[in-house]
This record gives sequence, structure tokens and C-alpha cells, in this order.
Amino acid sequence: MTPRLRVLLVLVTAVALEGTLLDELRVDGVSVELLLLVAVLTGFHGGPERGAITAFFAGLLHDSIVGAPLGLHALVYPPLAVAVSSLELRMLRSTPVTGGLAVLAAVAAGQGLASVVGMLFGILGQTPQAFVRQAVLAGILTAVVAAPVNRVVRWAATGGLPGTIEIRRGVG
Amino acid sequence: MAAPRPTERPRPTLLLLAAAAFTLLTLHIRGAAPLDAFQQGLRDILEPLRSVTDTATDPIQAAWNGIFGYEDLRAENERLAVELARLRGRSVTDAADSELLERLLGEVGLDYTQTDTVVVRILGTPPGNFGTHRIEVDAGTDEGLSEGLAVVTGAGLVGRLEQVDRSRSTVILATHPEFLVGVRLVASQDEGLARGTGRGTLKIEAGIRMDADIAWNEAVVTSGGRSLLPPDIPVGRVIDTDEHAEYERNVVIDLNADLESLSFLNVVLAHPEGDPLDVESGPTGSPRP
Repeated sequence: MTPRLRVLLVLVTAVALEGTLLDELRVDGVSVELLLLVAVLTGFHGGPERGAITAFFAGLLHDSIVGAPLGLHALVYPPLAVAVSSLELRMLRSTPVTGGLAVLAAVAAGQGLASVVGMLFGILGQTPQAFVRQAVLAGILTAVVAAPVNRVVRWAATGGLPGTIEIRRGVG
Repeated sequence: MAAPRPTERPRPTLLLLAAAAFTLLTLHIRGAAPLDAFQQGLRDILEPLRSVTDTATDPIQAAWNGIFGYEDLRAENERLAVELARLRGRSVTDAADSELLERLLGEVGLDYTQTDTVVVRILGTPPGNFGTHRIEVDAGTDEGLSEGLAVVTGAGLVGRLEQVDRSRSTVILATHPEFLVGVRLVASQDEGLARGTGRGTLKIEAGIRMDADIAWNEAVVTSGGRSLLPPDIPVGRVIDTDEHAEYERNVVIDLNADLESLSFLNVVLAHPEGDPLDVESGPTGSPRP
């Protein structure tokens, strides 16, 4: 199976889960942002370009199932995927705790940015306090389910191969 | 973990994707029909899965509620909420009707209590975390619904249909800050444009005369006319007359319909005459199968 097919399969599964099962399992009215998680993790495992393209399509799918104008989340997700990819290159060591915190921060940022764009376009009616609370809660819930999703996305983005070893020439 | 390959050029890709997303967003907000159809198609594909999941998770939710003895309390609460809504609706409707009869004898209007409606069940909030002040209901184009139709309870206006799929629809609640409705103050007969505040109230932002004699607790109904919604649907009561305003009066209305603890709603199957959006009204008079 080619990487594109694998990513497509993951996106289709994610959209089905987010629109069905995860929609039922809400905490204080907030649900897991699975497509945003897939976007972020693809940036982490697949690099900035693959991450950005996957995030774009994840955003389009997300727009469709939540009833947001097409392009709103697709505008927000790709920069996040690239940012996560860029941060991944700068991290010396990653532990499950730092990984979980990174997911929480990325999802909260994505959720918050989408809300801001929605408010700018006059689509979303929320008080700032409400969307901050929602973004943080969505980040926490998504971080809880991140471990199994991480394995699936790593398989989809890298095909199970070990990460690329980059040799950098020292300066001086 | 993967380092970027030498051929990767994230910056131009990102710019291209941002431009594409922005173009789509602009087109959609301007009302490009194919984009709506694409989204509706995707939701319709997911619909059978969602129905199955709803049904499958119902026993789990019921078991949870049963364990904690919450089900009886909720049923009782719902019954009382419906009863209260009915009484409050009757109160405002009576006030509205008597005033209208006295002041506007002969005016032909659409009495919302006499119109054809479709009863819909509330399913919850739309998927994801983007649907604030929106709820999903279990009826769509198959039941003759279309976008823009008024959604009411016995107590009055709740919102209007925003997105209508084949068997589900999304209702934008009257409290949403982007919800606009033409309203009329029953006693003073002033008309204005009210907007949701996001906090359970509406605010009349335009149209009220500075010297209008507005009473606290005055009943407010929809104005009809060029508005999307039919006239004479109870909206609420005035809780702030803003009589000390210096430039523009912002009258605050407490919404009559209780948006909490509801299970069923009515969709009014009639657009007012001269509907500016020319939305089809659907098969009025046909009961929901």
C-alpha cells in the first residue's frame, strides 16, 4: 500500500469516527478533535510538506462534517502541521509526557485559531472565555487518545520505516 | 520521526494551500452552491453510520443514567419544562393577540399557532466543537424542511434552520450573536432588528425610535414583512428599555423559549410572503410520517 493510500485510509477512518462515535462521547459538551490530531501527527511523522497537504484535506473533511464553511479549518490546520514538524526537528529528546503536552498545546492552538477565524468571518458566536475553555478541554481530551492514533499515523506517514537519519556537517 | 527530505519545500506548499483554503472559504461564504452540495453529500454518506452509532450508544447512556437514578429526574424535569414553556407561550401569545386585535384590527398576518409545523426531535450538538449555539434535529429535506424555516416551541421562537441535509438539520439558536430577526414591540408597535447576544437574550440594535414609549416586560413578537421568519411568533419580553440612550436605543429582550431541557421542537413550514431568499416552503400541511 502506498503512503498516499495509507494516509487516505486514515483520513476516511478519522472522519467516520469523529462524525459518529466520538461525537457521542463528549465531556462537558466538548469532543475529541481527531482530524486535527491526525493533521498534527502527520506533520510530526511525515515532515512539513506531507503534513501540510494531509492537514489541508483533514481540514476540508472537518469543515464538511461540522458544518463550517469549506476552507475554514483547511486554512488553520496546515500551518499547525508545519509548525509541529519544525518543532520536532528542534527537539532533542521526546518523552511520552512531552509528546502528550505537545499534542495538547497543538490541538488547543488549532481549536483556538479555528474559533478566531470563525469569529472573524462572523460564523461563530462565542465569548473569548468560552472558546479558551473549549480549546483547552479539546486539547486534553485529544491528548488522552493520542497514543494509539500516533501509532496509526506513524504507520501511514512512514510506512513503518525508521526515521530518516540526517547527517549535518559541523561548522568551524 | 522524519526530517524533511531535501526536495521538500514547505513554504511554497503552505502558501498554495492557504490560498486554496482562503479561496474556498470566500466562495462558500458568498454562497457557491457546489461547495454546499459537496458538504451535504459527505454528511449524507455519514448519516447511516451516525444513526447506527446513536442507536448503539443509547443503551450505554441509558445504563449510565439508570445507575445514578437520573432518568426519572430528567423525565420529570423535561415534563415541567414543557409545561412551563406552554404556559409562558400562552401568556405572551395572549398579550400579543389582544394588543394586535385592538391596534391592528384588519391586518392580515400569519398566526404561528395556526400554521403547519413539523415536529422534530433534538439530537444534540453538531459533530466537532464548532457548533456553539447550534443544535441538530432529526428531520431534513425528506420531511419537507428547507433552510431558513422558523423553529419554535409552545413558548415561541427558538431559532431557524441553517443547514438542511436529507434526514438531519442544524438549527441556529436565537441566542447566536449572528442570528438576526425582525421584531415588533406589541404595545408600542415599534419595529426593529434584534440580534442574539450569546447569553440567552436578544438585543434590538436598530429601528427603535429614541422617543418610543416602551414598557418593561412588554411582549415582543416577530415582525414578518421582509424578514425571513413569519410574523407574530412570540420572541420574549423586554428586560431593558435603554431609555437613557443618547444616540441609539438598544432594547434587551429576554427570550421566552427555554433553550435548555428541550427534547422536541416545531419547524414552521411557511416562509412569509415575498421571501427575499425565495426558499421553497415545502409541502405545507403534510404531517411528518
